Amino acid sequence: MMRPIILIEKKHYLYSILVIILFLILIGRFFYLQIYKRSFYFEASERNRIREIVIEPPRGVILDRKGEVLVDNRPSYSIYAIPFEVKKADSVLKLAAQIMNMTPAEVKSIIRREASGYFYPVKLKRQIDFETFVRIEEQKLDLPGIIYQSEPRRSYPAGVRAPHVFGYLGEINKDELTKPEYKGFRLGDVVGKKGLERVYEKELRGLRGYQYVEVDAFGREIQRLKDKPEVPAFPGKNLHLTMDADLQRCIEARMDTLRGGAVVVDCKTGGVLALVSKPDYDPEIFTKPVPADLWRSMVNDPGKPLYDRMVQSLYPPGSTYKIVLAAAALENGIIHPGWKNFCPGYLSFGKKTFDCWKQGGHGELDLIGAIEQSCNVYFYKLGLRTGLDTWATYSRQFLFGQPTDIDLIDEKAGNVPDRAYFDRVFGKDRWPKGLVLNLAIGQGDLLVTPLQMARLAMIVANEGVYYPFHLLDYLEDPADGKRQYARIDSVYIKGISPATYQIIKQGMYLVVHGPAGTARAASYGDIKVAGKTGTAQNPHGEPHAWFIGFAPFENPQIAFCILIENGGSGGRVAAPIAREIIKTYFYGAEKGHAQI
Amino acid sequence: MLRFSEVKISNDDYTILAITFLLLLVGLVAIYSASYQVETPELRANFPHQLIWALIGSIFMIITILIPTSFYYIASYWLYGLSILFLIITLLSGSDSPVSRWIDIGPFRFQPSEFAKIAVILALARFLSNEKRNLEKIKDIAIAFGIAFLPFTLVAKQPNLGTAIVFLGILLPVIYWAGLPTFYLFIVIIPFVVMVASFNFYTFFLAMVMIIILLLLFRRGLAISLPIVLLNIAVGVITPLLWNQLHVYQKHRILTFLGLEIDPKGSGYQVIQSKVAIGSGGLFGKGLFNGTQTQLRFLPAQHTDFVFSVIGEETGFVGSIFVIILFLLLLLRSIQIASKVRNQFGSLVVLGAVTILGFHIIVNIGMTVGMMPVTGLPLPFLSYGGSFLIVCMILIGLIINASIRRYKY
Repeated sequence: MMRPIILIEKKHYLYSILVIILFLILIGRFFYLQIYKRSFYFEASERNRIREIVIEPPRGVILDRKGEVLVDNRPSYSIYAIPFEVKKADSVLKLAAQIMNMTPAEVKSIIRREASGYFYPVKLKRQIDFETFVRIEEQKLDLPGIIYQSEPRRSYPAGVRAPHVFGYLGEINKDELTKPEYKGFRLGDVVGKKGLERVYEKELRGLRGYQYVEVDAFGREIQRLKDKPEVPAFPGKNLHLTMDADLQRCIEARMDTLRGGAVVVDCKTGGVLALVSKPDYDPEIFTKPVPADLWRSMVNDPGKPLYDRMVQSLYPPGSTYKIVLAAAALENGIIHPGWKNFCPGYLSFGKKTFDCWKQGGHGELDLIGAIEQSCNVYFYKLGLRTGLDTWATYSRQFLFGQPTDIDLIDEKAGNVPDRAYFDRVFGKDRWPKGLVLNLAIGQGDLLVTPLQMARLAMIVANEGVYYPFHLLDYLEDPADGKRQYARIDSVYIKGISPATYQIIKQGMYLVVHGPAGTARAASYGDIKVAGKTGTAQNPHGEPHAWFIGFAPFENPQIAFCILIENGGSGGRVAAPIAREIIKTYFYGAEKGHAQI
Repeated sequence: MLRFSEVKISNDDYTILAITFLLLLVGLVAIYSASYQVETPELRANFPHQLIWALIGSIFMIITILIPTSFYYIASYWLYGLSILFLIITLLSGSDSPVSRWIDIGPFRFQPSEFAKIAVILALARFLSNEKRNLEKIKDIAIAFGIAFLPFTLVAKQPNLGTAIVFLGILLPVIYWAGLPTFYLFIVIIPFVVMVASFNFYTFFLAMVMIIILLLLFRRGLAISLPIVLLNIAVGVITPLLWNQLHVYQKHRILTFLGLEIDPKGSGYQVIQSKVAIGSGGLFGKGLFNGTQTQLRFLPAQHTDFVFSVIGEETGFVGSIFVIILFLLLLLRSIQIASKVRNQFGSLVVLGAVTILGFHIIVNIGMTVGMMPVTGLPLPFLSYGGSFLIVCMILIGLIINASIRRYKY
């Protein structure tokens, strides 16, 4: 039935050898994986099981000089869904979608797109409003798997807008991620985008903490890791500003319908007391994701609300700049203070006639009188005598063409035209000599920022001493209350004698207090104010109205610059705002408000 | 049933029994480790279930040993017919679901494809051990192929390609053992080698040179050798041409069918996690019940197809090699038994059993370390699952059965 075996004895060796070879290959593979590549796979298994939980430190708040909180944090809530829980019942998604004003299909597609594990919460909606929050909380029992988590969000409790100063937060973009300062950041992180939020990002942010938990394959947390201790978070530092909230609020309210702005600085420190640029935007807008159409409308708004006019815009300074020419002429002995000139209302130069702003002329004026009444003809002549080179040298002496290096971003440097500049524009020595007449009254190619004009006011007030502008007074560590002051070194403007300052200040005093002064509206109460108006011609319509100055006259505490785009006469439009500033700063907000 | 006069127990038989129970033990520990922490009660029941299956399997093994070899010889074709019938019933009954692998008999459900493995071994052994067989004749070779191809086709249609390929895997080792001339084996294997080699000119050239050298060694004369050479050149030329005619999705389908295309989200993930588990085990492992991949359930199918990854992670290189060597010893001893059994039928049954076990072991372990495609073949004695465990125990029973009666013709 069964026949005896007839196989070749050697065959079983062949089979055995084949099996041994295959097994040796397997053993080799195990050696490769478990011995040679052990650390590689071990790390991979650690990455699998360890989840790093980021503990976001609270962001530093921003306070004014008196400790009033200007920019605060408030909890805001985002809604999340846990896919595993939500999938159990359709009714949950339906109800949640209805509360959030979304369709169930939308919610489902978000979960499908974003889910990275059954137990990882998926963010459904950022920063829900209070009403939604209450409804979610009320119907908690019907919403298993729908959770909310708080996220820090900025609030502006003081009623100070100053959006250009504070800036705003936003999600980090790909460009920023490549920069060294954002090392360690991840896409979706919220960082300062503009203003102080951006400049002091590092200080405000604090240090992230980390918790390590063990998770399983479904993303469920199993336990805290014992072998990897928690790294605590350090809260961000608070920014104490030099800003005076009362003054800032007052100017913001006063200039609300205007286009322009004002800057007020502390003469003794360089600390910025108020920095207003109008039109602006409500800082609340950026505390939640900005809808695309709103963003577009802000970008395209002809009023350019996103621009900080005090820092980022350049203007011809107009007559305010006569101060610089006066100083240049006095210092070079081109005139003595008593030098007089007759103003018939115009000056003929070559084939052209240059007008004074006052038809019929000012008659005979000395330098102080010319400053008081802002006589163009006087300064035309002064310009011709002084010449472009000296004018340019003294412009630079007063730091024009240089940014103030205030702690904001995108500050402009301006332009001081000189021989080299005109040679470049017109060709060597081919430029009309009459240009200097325009420059003499602050017109032409001379461009300045309002900040630079405030700096000029401060230099004159302090008779040469200048403190670099800054918004930050000190950083405060909320943990131990330690303060960290920025080092502010005073700068002395060389080459201008006290006598020269005295004459200029005299003129500026008369601008406000003299019988024929152009800015008599600027004074308030007992405070003696010195200033200079400007009415700068420009191609965009009405002239820009300027007013720069300082107060009190005897012992200057504040310097300021006010600009109203296309506002008309500086004396008529800008000077009354100075009065508001003086009133608020020296007499207090309450009284100031009461008298508006 | 058991006549002791016929029986001669050798050391080999004890060795095989010992290894089998050692492996069962290893498997139970691994399954316990893979499921004791799980919340779902069904999964936690894996360990007690497998324990029961192991007991039932042992009883099946003993019964298999006790039944005389001649009974299997007589019953082989019947069993074969029965298993084919079951496979057809499985296909028909499960027509409402896309995958039909199970049959319910009373409270039990079993996989007919598992028992077909035994039936095919017996049928092949009986057919090939018949003294009228002449494996130089095409007809007999064709019938032997047919015996394996029929269940292959039925199981592949379920569809369960992984298991189906086992039937083909048995074929060549068994038929060669039975006396297929080496030259025929050569002719059958060569076109497939050429197909793979034909995608690169140098490998193709090398393959052809090897073929010519081997043909010269076989000394079959030009009339047979030349057509073989020409045929293989034709295969080598046509394969790349045909391949390039195919659409991308067709290529993808063929590669997937052959198990060569790794789907990155499905089986790719499994293999990566399995490699991470094994590799992170290092020399001595993370300790029993301490494997993070296992305990935190990063390992897919960790109690069934990827049970070896649990061993690799928790007991490391030392533990893995220990188990691998147990498997190796089992196979080598069994091959030796196959060569010692004096009757052709018994010898072929043993060799068939060895082939099935070896095929599963190499493909499964190879899969856990990313050397083999993910086919869904379980690991003998270790993987969770009743039908397959019982089949493996029966195979051991058949080996010992033939071994202790090796002098009986």
